Amino acid sequence: MSHPNQDAALAGIRVIDLSSRFSFYTGKLFADMGADVVLVEPPGGCALRREGPFLNNRIDPALGIPFNFYNTSKRGMVLDLASSRDAQTLRSLARHADLIIEDGLPGAMQQFGLGFERLAEQNPKLVLTSLTPFGQTGPYARVEATDLTLLALGGLLSMMGYPDGPPTQAYGNQAIAMGCMFAAVGSMIALTAAQADGVGQQVDVSIQESVTMATENAAQFYDLAGVTRKRFAGEQRHAGTGVFACSDGFIYLFAGGMAGARFWANLVTWLRDENVPGHEELDGAHWFDVSFMDGPEAKAIFNRIFPSFCARWSKDDIYHEAQRRQIPLCPINDARDVFNNAQLQARGMFVGVPHEVLGAEVIMPNVPFSMSASPGRLRHCAPLPGEHQDSVLADWQGQAAQRRAMGAHR
Amino acid sequence: MSAGGKGPLAGIRVADFTWIGAGSYTTKLLADFGADVIKVESSTHMDTLRSTPPFKDGIKGTERSGYFADRNTSKSGMRLNLKHPQGLEIAKRLIACSDVVANNFRPGVMDRLGLGYPVAQALRPDIVYLAMSMQGATGPHTKYVGFGLTIGALAGIHYSSGPSDRPPAGTSTNYPDHVPNPAHAAFAVLAALNYRRRTGQGQYIDLAQTEPTVALQGIAIIDYAMNGRIAQRQGNRHPAWVPHGVYPCLGDDRWIAVAVQDDTQWNRLAEVLALDSMRRAAWAHFEARDADRSSIDEWLSSETRQREPSALMRQLQEAGVPAGVVQDASDLIERDPQLAHRQHWQYLDHPEMGRSIYNNVPIKLSRTPGKLSRPAPMLGQHTEEICSNLLGYTADEIARFTADKVFE
Repeated sequence: MSHPNQDAALAGIRVIDLSSRFSFYTGKLFADMGADVVLVEPPGGCALRREGPFLNNRIDPALGIPFNFYNTSKRGMVLDLASSRDAQTLRSLARHADLIIEDGLPGAMQQFGLGFERLAEQNPKLVLTSLTPFGQTGPYARVEATDLTLLALGGLLSMMGYPDGPPTQAYGNQAIAMGCMFAAVGSMIALTAAQADGVGQQVDVSIQESVTMATENAAQFYDLAGVTRKRFAGEQRHAGTGVFACSDGFIYLFAGGMAGARFWANLVTWLRDENVPGHEELDGAHWFDVSFMDGPEAKAIFNRIFPSFCARWSKDDIYHEAQRRQIPLCPINDARDVFNNAQLQARGMFVGVPHEVLGAEVIMPNVPFSMSASPGRLRHCAPLPGEHQDSVLADWQGQAAQRRAMGAHR
Repeated sequence: MSAGGKGPLAGIRVADFTWIGAGSYTTKLLADFGADVIKVESSTHMDTLRSTPPFKDGIKGTERSGYFADRNTSKSGMRLNLKHPQGLEIAKRLIACSDVVANNFRPGVMDRLGLGYPVAQALRPDIVYLAMSMQGATGPHTKYVGFGLTIGALAGIHYSSGPSDRPPAGTSTNYPDHVPNPAHAAFAVLAALNYRRRTGQGQYIDLAQTEPTVALQGIAIIDYAMNGRIAQRQGNRHPAWVPHGVYPCLGDDRWIAVAVQDDTQWNRLAEVLALDSMRRAAWAHFEARDADRSSIDEWLSSETRQREPSALMRQLQEAGVPAGVVQDASDLIERDPQLAHRQHWQYLDHPEMGRSIYNNVPIKLSRTPGKLSRPAPMLGQHTEEICSNLLGYTADEIARFTADKVFE
């Protein structure tokens, strides 16, 4: 096979990735962990290739940053599923697959003769994971949606933004990302089951429902306390918890509320050591009482004392000094700050992946966890359309032919 | 005793030393699919979420937090004083019969307790050991402290979320705790178990809680690293879709999200809202709409403001225009027909809290579904059962442990 990779955690697992809109990151998680993931694109390449920004700002379907990021370590084929010949090719590949990932409207797979029942007949261990806006069934199953409308319907959008303006979305298609992450976990669980008893199944993941998981304790607040949580940007969540300006940007301080007594005490000690005017007002048992900390008085007192102190520091200096004193305070980093962060750099969080069309390496985030025995790796850059058309067929079907031959000898 | 025994992860035992958000939720994902997850706490070091609101009847108490309950379904609970030599011995015996050890302490804490990776590996050579500290086990900032919101700040998502003309708004919740970290950690553990089935080898997983959220900013990172461009806050603006935003509706703080992805959807939106033919034609194409974003938003707001959000959403959805009411918790629980169809809200009966609400498993497996098999454990609820049935201690030994304050 063209990708010998036996030390990888998911070596030997074969995945057909039919992502067209949402589920690319699910396939990437498998590919970077060593599974043989084949991205199947329609003729002309998938729409994601046309999304910017582009590498070196060159508008070229091989150079789109979203496409390149979400498809590392995958191989590429082009199939026109509307043609019966190509649908047949996919069906025969599916005989050798462990997992198919797809994100079409419910029913789209059946339309191409690729419904689960039909695929499972020829390959009983197959797992079919479907990531859709609302899941496979239910009143919204066929409703059109985007990241923004799913953040809204999943409940997270109502909690984000300034209270005196409209709710504002999180950067970077996080609703879709949440669906992708749960789809990856669900796929792994179904593969675990299939390895135990040889029987696959369908994994149905709704992006809306995935978003609802990120609403923290909002459902419990409503159920237990009758309180509907709202957005609160610009305000402290508890006294000592929120965004504060420093000389070159902003920091997030999390010293109140859930943070617990130790961090608050460390903060007060720091302000005393620095002789910050009014620091003595932050002493006393009431500062450890959540109901006081949540109230307007505590927030107002804190706002008289901390901001002018904070404003004297650069975000980097205050970060390291606060952390030296064991206070949960972090800079609000932009992409440049994140990229230059010494800790992330030291851990190898950014790696170069050679890119032939670009003629250079693409620097991108590495697999975001390390494994001592079977580390993940960005093995190669995203495929060109149909780049591995022949090698995939040869590897998957050829090996199966070989296995049959060996079986015959036993 | 075990809540496991059924489900696709039956037979996998997790010695669970995690606490607070991300760690507890990682092992919950495994527990809901049948893994036997044994959560170890002590009275002096109990999970901080136990003292985090909301509380049943507003009364604070170790067994009353809805936040803790939601994050710890389907687990068993053990109370062990790990600073007591006998407590440590019991924890080691638990690890010796586990497949996974999980913690989200700062690096060094488990080692100081005497339960670091080398110890666990000696007890169980093929153990999968998950460590998910804030910044990872290597590098200059391993000792740094934080929570989901400060992680979001450090990882870049806070900066780039919110209106362009105001300080960063961020994601408001401790977003990295709820999905990016638990999902990546659970995926890594399952991948490591897959590797162990193939090779017989366990391993150490080091997940820095900053890194999954950094990975989810991949496009911004690459755009900076390769093009030198720093992603800025855009509010709800989308580069290729107009209109795209959140618009006011009838009612107090009611909003609708609308996303028009192409000219066809534009026509349908204009039809539903009966836009005059002159403006409809003028804005028929993306380029024209892109050049006139604020006038379009102004018109759209003037229309949405007169309408009830869910009725408007239905009209737009029927017309094929992506639209969604900005739902709050009461909408999600009381009114959303899709979440109801998926049985997303579950009510479990807890010994002290009674009946209260839980999120269901957000992943539907057709053959081996996940399930909230029981409410969160009370502190130490299953200590004696586990000591006796799983770890093989006699009744006399257990009585002595109790007298010696091992179970504190």
